[in-house]
Amino acid sequence: MNPQVETIISSRSWMKQSSAAKGARMTEAEGGCGVVGLASSVPLAGKHILKPLEQMHNRGNGKGGGIAAVGLSAEQLGVSEEVLRTHYLVQVAYLKPDARRSLESEFIDPCYEVSKMYEVETSTDKKVLGTLEVKPPAVWRYFCRVKGPVLDQFMKDNKLEDMDRQKAEDEFVYQNSFRTNHRWYASSGMAAFVMSHGRNMLVLKIVGYAEDVIRYYKLDEFKAHVWIGHQRYPTKGRVWHPGGAHPFIGLDEALVHNGDFANYHSVSEYLAQRNIAPLFLTDTEVAVLLFDVLNRTYSYPLEYIIEALAPTTERDFSLLPEEKKRVYKAVQRTHIHGSPDGPWLFIIGRNSYYENRLQLMGITDTSMLRPQVFALVDGDVQIGLIASEKQAIDSALESISLEVPSVPRYADKYWNARGGSYTDGGAFIFSLHQQKETPGSLRLICTNKFGTMVTVPNNSWDKAEDLKLTKRLPRVPRAGDLGEQFAARKDPVAEFKLFKQKLHEMTGSELNSLFAQMVKSASAGDASMSEYLRILTLMIDRRYPTGKFRRSRIVDKANEAIETILRALPKIEADDRSLYALVDRKNISKMRPPQSPYSILVLDCADFPMEGEDGASFVIRAAKDLGWNRVIIFGCHGQRFFGCGLGPKSKGFRLDVYGSPGDYLASGLDGADIRVHANGQDQLGQILNDGKLVVQGDVGQTFMYGAKGGEAYVLGNAAGRPLINAVGRPKVVINGTCLDYLAESFMAGNPLYGGGFVVLNGISFDGDGKLVELPEPYPGGNLFSLASGGAIYVRDPRKLVGEDQLNGGRLAKLTPEDWNLILPYLKENERLFDIPVDDFLLRVDGSRRNPEEVYRKIEPVPMVTLAGKKQVQETGDS
Amino acid sequence: MAERSGHYMDSFPEVSLSPAERLQFMNRFSVKRSDKCISCGMCESLCPYGVHKRVEGHTKILPPDDRKCMGPSCDVNYFFCVANCPTGSLSVGPSDNYQSMGDPRWPAEMILSTWRQAESGRPIALDDPANIGRSGGGFDKLYFRLPESQGRFDPADFDTSVRLNRRGKGEQIEIPVPFYGGGMSFGSISVHTMLARAKAAEMLGTFVSTGEGGYPDALIPFKDHIVTQIATGLFGVREATIQRSRILEFKYAQGAKPGLGGHLLHDKNTPEVARMREAVPYTSLFSPFPFHSVYSVEDHKKHLDWALAINPKALISVKVSTPNDVEMVSVGSYYAGAHIVHLDGGYGGTGAAPEIAKKNIAMPIEYAIPKVHRFLMNEGIRDEVTLVASGGLRTAMDAAKSIALGADCVVIGTADLVALGCVRCGNCESGRGCPRGIATTDPELQQMTHSDWGAQRIVNMYSSWKLQWCELLHRLGMKGISELRGRTDLLRHADKQAKEVGK
Repeated sequence: MNPQVETIISSRSWMKQSSAAKGARMTEAEGGCGVVGLASSVPLAGKHILKPLEQMHNRGNGKGGGIAAVGLSAEQLGVSEEVLRTHYLVQVAYLKPDARRSLESEFIDPCYEVSKMYEVETSTDKKVLGTLEVKPPAVWRYFCRVKGPVLDQFMKDNKLEDMDRQKAEDEFVYQNSFRTNHRWYASSGMAAFVMSHGRNMLVLKIVGYAEDVIRYYKLDEFKAHVWIGHQRYPTKGRVWHPGGAHPFIGLDEALVHNGDFANYHSVSEYLAQRNIAPLFLTDTEVAVLLFDVLNRTYSYPLEYIIEALAPTTERDFSLLPEEKKRVYKAVQRTHIHGSPDGPWLFIIGRNSYYENRLQLMGITDTSMLRPQVFALVDGDVQIGLIASEKQAIDSALESISLEVPSVPRYADKYWNARGGSYTDGGAFIFSLHQQKETPGSLRLICTNKFGTMVTVPNNSWDKAEDLKLTKRLPRVPRAGDLGEQFAARKDPVAEFKLFKQKLHEMTGSELNSLFAQMVKSASAGDASMSEYLRILTLMIDRRYPTGKFRRSRIVDKANEAIETILRALPKIEADDRSLYALVDRKNISKMRPPQSPYSILVLDCADFPMEGEDGASFVIRAAKDLGWNRVIIFGCHGQRFFGCGLGPKSKGFRLDVYGSPGDYLASGLDGADIRVHANGQDQLGQILNDGKLVVQGDVGQTFMYGAKGGEAYVLGNAAGRPLINAVGRPKVVINGTCLDYLAESFMAGNPLYGGGFVVLNGISFDGDGKLVELPEPYPGGNLFSLASGGAIYVRDPRKLVGEDQLNGGRLAKLTPEDWNLILPYLKENERLFDIPVDDFLLRVDGSRRNPEEVYRKIEPVPMVTLAGKKQVQETGDS
Repeated sequence: MAERSGHYMDSFPEVSLSPAERLQFMNRFSVKRSDKCISCGMCESLCPYGVHKRVEGHTKILPPDDRKCMGPSCDVNYFFCVANCPTGSLSVGPSDNYQSMGDPRWPAEMILSTWRQAESGRPIALDDPANIGRSGGGFDKLYFRLPESQGRFDPADFDTSVRLNRRGKGEQIEIPVPFYGGGMSFGSISVHTMLARAKAAEMLGTFVSTGEGGYPDALIPFKDHIVTQIATGLFGVREATIQRSRILEFKYAQGAKPGLGGHLLHDKNTPEVARMREAVPYTSLFSPFPFHSVYSVEDHKKHLDWALAINPKALISVKVSTPNDVEMVSVGSYYAGAHIVHLDGGYGGTGAAPEIAKKNIAMPIEYAIPKVHRFLMNEGIRDEVTLVASGGLRTAMDAAKSIALGADCVVIGTADLVALGCVRCGNCESGRGCPRGIATTDPELQQMTHSDWGAQRIVNMYSSWKLQWCELLHRLGMKGISELRGRTDLLRHADKQAKEVGK
């Protein structure tokens, strides 16, 4: 720990005493938001963060948006590399422009040697200005160092002579900015405030949407290694200045936050005890002040900072190594009152100056209350991403891939975090390290809280061949062997099998040509269209060795091929005899009933808004009402509510989804059949009552909340709280795992008499697409809590699930009746995902076992009620 | 008692006498006559109210008819029977039944007067003691500054209607009375009670909420008057029930037990209830306290958008309790697209809400309403949102006070049950505890309430309320109930008054 803790704290005693700060603790502004962060080994232009922010427009309400950029370009800023590296980049926002001269003479001129200062250029485009309700402040940029004598005096006055001079300078800048804000913001009618101060980083924020920041301050082509962005959704209506917008700053870091602490006052009190007082009245400011205290005052390593923010508790704590327990206990004892409680996700971008690295990190709360997705792209250009929604990550990658072709449109790895977990701590850090061999170039390394590296499943692809595949599909394909064999056969499954066999020997241009050939052949007629659509879909859905290429590239290309063939279909208004009819935003008015019951409506979602009555979900609904039985949607980019509102008479309706669907897909489903050929997002299948939902990937938070029935199959993981409060008779197979709170308050009767259940297989695919067991089938500390009905069948041959994870449930032996019940669902699971029951699920260490040796049943403990009856297990199907 | 006459009957054709067969008439006082009585007839000749009666030709006087007695306070009168009895055989005291009934919030007078109104539809005076409880706080400390009576009035001259949709979007719904029925789930009350409320809502042209136990099929004929509640447990909520309703109510919290979520204890979870909720019978059903899909305001917007994706025509009501930052919650709900912001205060709740929670959590509703009202005014959006108050509003005057504090209309729950004969015994959590067969799911007990009879009782009560509101408007010189909104200047607080007098 830092020996100067007390001295630093006492040097700040004046900060707490400022009267405005005292009053400030009384009220707190509230709100929610959408957040995104990306770190890249090459500098990326601001327009790439623009895209995901636009996509998460609906997570903000235009009352605050902001970005931070870390790892900047000296050339674009008009300073030398040396100045950029060593100087503090102080940005002051002048809400009242005439405040500048006096502010400078008070706080800039006497304290700093300014090597360069200028006003940040803004857009004069009428279109950009027209969208802004409130004119953004004029921002001045100062590259400065503290004047030697001033720093000497500061160190002397505050008895900081023993401190590292550079760190003392940090402290001076920090306090000087606070003083400026206090004088010019809190107590002077909000005339000006310091927007950011830090080395090689800056923050810009406005009243408006975050994308407006990029446009207004002309950051489209502004390059940085780390970007974070924030759409604010303040609850209160009128906002006239961006002081409350995110990101907030510590010193060399900027933080954005999604959520709302329940213990704002307690954290403020913790800070007040350390002489820190917030000025901007939001919990986000408090969060970054907290981070700064732990970082600069206590000088904790990152792991302990994260522990202080998101403590490891309960079962997770008990599973830690003894040494960690000892340290964590001490950290918790000192800092638990400062630990934010309630829903939060922090994304922090920082310049770790003393370690000479740039960092992006995401830290999640211990109850998994906020949606979050992490993603990693490996290769020549490495990118780490964090966002509230997976679709935002995909849209960022799509934008980047247009400029950097080696980056695919889909990440090589996506994952969710569980805060305070003993396995990874629920916090991930993307660090950009200087390469020793090649100075100037950076290498991105992703680690979790404990410093363990996180890598993509397979990074042994051939970079040159992979890059060849990035070329657009040729219009006139060169005929290849495989393509001709495809044309000769008429069985998509056999053709896909052939493709899997041949893939490892194919070159990039051959594969590209194959895709082009498939696109061309698909247009030959309805039969070949459905055949090639099926093969391409299998290429996306299945996991297999991907030869010289990365899997994400093949998924990308297959999606591109699907988009190409579907966009070439006859439009709905064309009087064509094809079974397929294409609808997009422009011709929805031409919708008509199907010509035959086998007709397929294809909906291009590219131009549809995220929600509302103009949204694609209403087109699907209208199609169903017109009598269409099959709808395929593609090109979706985060639109919500697909499959909602189809109503109870929707049995026999089938919807296939390609692209990146958004939240609440299939929520309310009552009979229809929905297949998602991608990862799902949050709140899928809420109150699902009947029908079938198949997700060829992961699903996010609160999957099937309050579900009542139906069947669902998930290839990958579910994040937090799947099946919470579900009742009735839902039948669910999750092949991966769930992070925590699976089937809390499950009330789904007795599965043996028609009630519901979840089969949790706890398996995954390795980098070669081979099925493997996860280290443990269920890592969370809460399983089947408070459940009174239903059951969980967990594949747990090594007996790793323990009673300590259960609260209200008990482990029971699998009976033959149980196995007969779940076997048909596992068989369907095998058909959907190619996960064999006999050849994999029932095999342990290579040998075939009996079902009761592999699967365990978790059932509720029966209760004796006051009514004197034992709980009656009624059937769900009545 | 109430024959079909009088002007109020003409203006409210829906009112008709509906006595409660099973409600024994309850007396405030009991008059006792001991064996020492010599049947001299003195008391009969003295009592102007007819408590004592001797039938011509009988030697013995009849037992005292204590319904008519005015009680021990009669001792100031020359005709006080107890003082005048030559043998000292008479005594007057409070009746045991009467004493044991009610509680400070719902004193016995108020219960009796609600029963009377439910039976006859006849209004009570605005300053009737039965319009005020004895809780020593809340609405019981607030009084209207009432000008003198202005003589007779015609109820047809007054407009008590309220617009529920003040936004451009969605169906324009107006209810002719400034209230609708609050959510009481199937399971917490019997299906007959639900039906009675639904039928009454139809007769009055207003709405009633399903509560969170699902939408029983019996209610489908009244679907235009049913609000589908989407609560945190999502019990019984399906696309069909969302699509069926004109109003959707998102229940985030209940004022009586904020932070606790709904709970239905095991005894009430009979097989019938469990089927509706698709849960396991005889297990206690707890809804989570939050929506697990909503931990933030942008989640909330998404949640409302979801309901609108299923039923784009519906009006959205957001029901929240009254935390200290209730104005932030309200304004956030409005910006997320809510048509109705429903503040549920802590005075309500049936006997099933835990005592520790009731009245002890969150801000009193009489503080929350004006706080939100003013905040919305300052935001400039007051006229785009319908502000609804609920939580322990017992009488017409409580409702009027809420409106004067800033609400547009109110939501009523418990008063409906009292109209059906609830004695406020507080045993609602137990499946077989309801002596009146209202808040029960027991198949036999629930037969005690018939839905047509119940609907008539509820209609009668509200007709009486409406007349009281008309009289109030008349005396205040107003024409419409909307003029009363936010007129805190018309209210006085009992404590303040006392202080002023003390000076």
